[in-house]
Amino acid sequence: MTAPVTPTDPAPGADTAAPRYTGEGGALFGLALRTAVLTLLTLGIYRFWAKTRIRRYIWSSVQLDGTRFEYTGTGLEKFLGFLVAVVILAIYLGLVQLLLAFLGLSLFVTPESPGAALAQGVAFSLTGLAVLPLVFFAQYRARRYKCGRTRWRGIRFGMEKAAWGYALRALLYYGLALLTLGLLWPLATWRLSRYMIDRTWFGDARFTLGGRWTGLYPAMTHILVPVALLVGGTAFAILSERPALAAILPPVAAIWLVIGVVHYRVQSFAYLTRHTTLGGTVGFDARPRTGTVIRKYVGGSILIALAIGVVGGLLTSFFGVLFGGLMQMAEAGRPDGAAGAMAFVLPMLAALFGYLAILLFSGAAAYALIVQPILAHYTETLAVSDVAALQDIRQRAADRGADAEGFADALDLGGAI
Amino acid sequence: MQAFADFYDGETATRHPVHVTLGPDRMALLIRGDTLPQPLRWPLADLRALHDQSDRRQLVLTRHVEFRDETARDPARLVVDDPDFMAWLRATRPALDARDVPRGTGRRVALWIAGALAAVGLMLFVILPALADTLARAIPEAREAAFGRSVVAQMERVLGAERMGGLDCEAPAGRAALDRMAARLTGAADLDTQVTLRVLDHEMVNAFAAPGGQVVILRGLLDEAGSPETVAAVLAHELGHVARRDPTRAALRTAGSVGLLGLVFGDFAGGAAMLLVAERLIDARYSQDAEEAADLYAHELLARADIPPAALAQMFERFRELDGDTRGAFAHLMSHPRLGDRIAAARAATPEGFAGRPVLSPAEWRALQDICG
Repeated sequence: MTAPVTPTDPAPGADTAAPRYTGEGGALFGLALRTAVLTLLTLGIYRFWAKTRIRRYIWSSVQLDGTRFEYTGTGLEKFLGFLVAVVILAIYLGLVQLLLAFLGLSLFVTPESPGAALAQGVAFSLTGLAVLPLVFFAQYRARRYKCGRTRWRGIRFGMEKAAWGYALRALLYYGLALLTLGLLWPLATWRLSRYMIDRTWFGDARFTLGGRWTGLYPAMTHILVPVALLVGGTAFAILSERPALAAILPPVAAIWLVIGVVHYRVQSFAYLTRHTTLGGTVGFDARPRTGTVIRKYVGGSILIALAIGVVGGLLTSFFGVLFGGLMQMAEAGRPDGAAGAMAFVLPMLAALFGYLAILLFSGAAAYALIVQPILAHYTETLAVSDVAALQDIRQRAADRGADAEGFADALDLGGAI
Repeated sequence: MQAFADFYDGETATRHPVHVTLGPDRMALLIRGDTLPQPLRWPLADLRALHDQSDRRQLVLTRHVEFRDETARDPARLVVDDPDFMAWLRATRPALDARDVPRGTGRRVALWIAGALAAVGLMLFVILPALADTLARAIPEAREAAFGRSVVAQMERVLGAERMGGLDCEAPAGRAALDRMAARLTGAADLDTQVTLRVLDHEMVNAFAAPGGQVVILRGLLDEAGSPETVAAVLAHELGHVARRDPTRAALRTAGSVGLLGLVFGDFAGGAAMLLVAERLIDARYSQDAEEAADLYAHELLARADIPPAALAQMFERFRELDGDTRGAFAHLMSHPRLGDRIAAARAATPEGFAGRPVLSPAEWRALQDICG
């Protein structure tokens, strides 16, 4: 059991470890497909166990300094947590939805004028606002639960209880970012990340975030440039009367902007990771490449679409021939005979089956062909310095994790993993 | 049986290289290492392996112990990658993959399921309907009517109108006959809502009431009704919905229950379909009650307006000839009660020797049937 300790660039030396990702596409696809079928058969109840099993696989695929990570959450506690959240949210959301529908109806019903339509839009987005604090609350709790159920070398990770504090700050900072048309987005990213990172522990060692919020602006370049290009370029095109330029600018800027948003997400993660330390000495280096992340996402999506197209086409033609024959038998015989009924019921069943099969297949394939490759890229571009300091870290007490991210599950905030 | 392995004691993150052997009594593994203060003894019966692990060439072992955290496992880990040792463990230790659930888990799960069901049920069947009833009365009349107009506009689009009002039937003589019929009924009723009556040119045999007194009759109903009394009976039924504000209450209640059901079913494959079926079931329960109440309202209103309530039964018999009745389990999914029961109720509501006055003259009736030109 000797670990391959590979030195990497940031601080070359025997004390730097590069994590490895060893998960295999086929194994994850099989696991995701099996659990998805079980989820369907149990009318959705198995989804908590499904997610837990997929996490176990993915966590155990990440290897640092020769030791694999471990996910210790259980499907049962997630299911119970979900029930707890449903009891609370059912009451809250049911009432909020109904009251807002009432307000929507009694204040501004018919969009008979543009102003009324706008007012109605505002009323409906109020529903979102009523849920927003809960969304942030649930996000923090979900992260805390995942930390509390992650172990390395038998030692627990953990986060402090501070979900409401986070929800309050998230409302404030994201509100500020919105008011400044996104200019203060880095402030929100950095402050909220620091709030969470500074409350995260590995055993008895604490993570801390350094750096400055302005340090995130370079990551924002490809958001700011296309916006400037769009505004400035369109103004120039209109003033100098060049309609061709005015027509081509918006699509170019839009595509650039989408790439820019991905770039910001990838590179802000990298910046934050590089400025995180554990226990004062253990440092991290992250060099994920935006181009690689986008390539893996697009490549995986194309592969899945192709697979669905080929398999779907084959199935359609097979069933087409089969049911065509049935139809003819039905028309030849008595119209209300058994074959007649079968000729109508069977195609419908086949279509339903095909729809569900494609849904399950593409979900499982997305884990194997999109989520896992991107995760592998993030893992393999990471390096941990001063790993020797890790072995003095001591165990922390178990976190009961009360709702086991039940609120996030109930509000469908899960994300891929 | 023996192997070299890595051991983590669950107290610190230190790696201990260890040597594992089977104890002399063959009942336990003995774990010895230079960095361990003393040899450890792990009884074979308590050995458990981690599930769903990515690396099949190694086995992460732990011990089943009394429950101190979420896992019911000793935090210590023994990582074995010796193929022979792994094969021996797999062959001789069937309990390796056992899932140990704390005692009383079944009870805890049952309690929480019952609690969640009770909370959701209470919301869906008691609180939301009651709130919807209260709030429906508080909506200003003009707003309710405006909402109703947008519902009817939606309906027009579904029926294939190319522009708003494109399906309206407005032949003057027919309109006059319709107004006369409506006046006879509204005169006998004490409605606090202004009724707006429209005929749309579509072959469907149906009529419906939208929020705010918007009542729509489809041309197919006039074609199939057979007599003006039958049309008046259907109109009386729809006025029952208007008087009880059924459409508005249903809209409010649905807004609440869809938000709540979306929460319960989540976003797994087929979750949206489950939501639709569940909402349909709940809705059917309420609308069956609403239909029965509207029938009762129609019986009384028709009698007061000197029209035999049995006219409603004639309409239902016509429906039955056209579609057939629904029987058995499928009836629970339908929004209307069974026709046989409604026909009997309408007949029973007509006193013996009831002398009605004709609703329209034969000429007026012809004009009404030709309202769509």
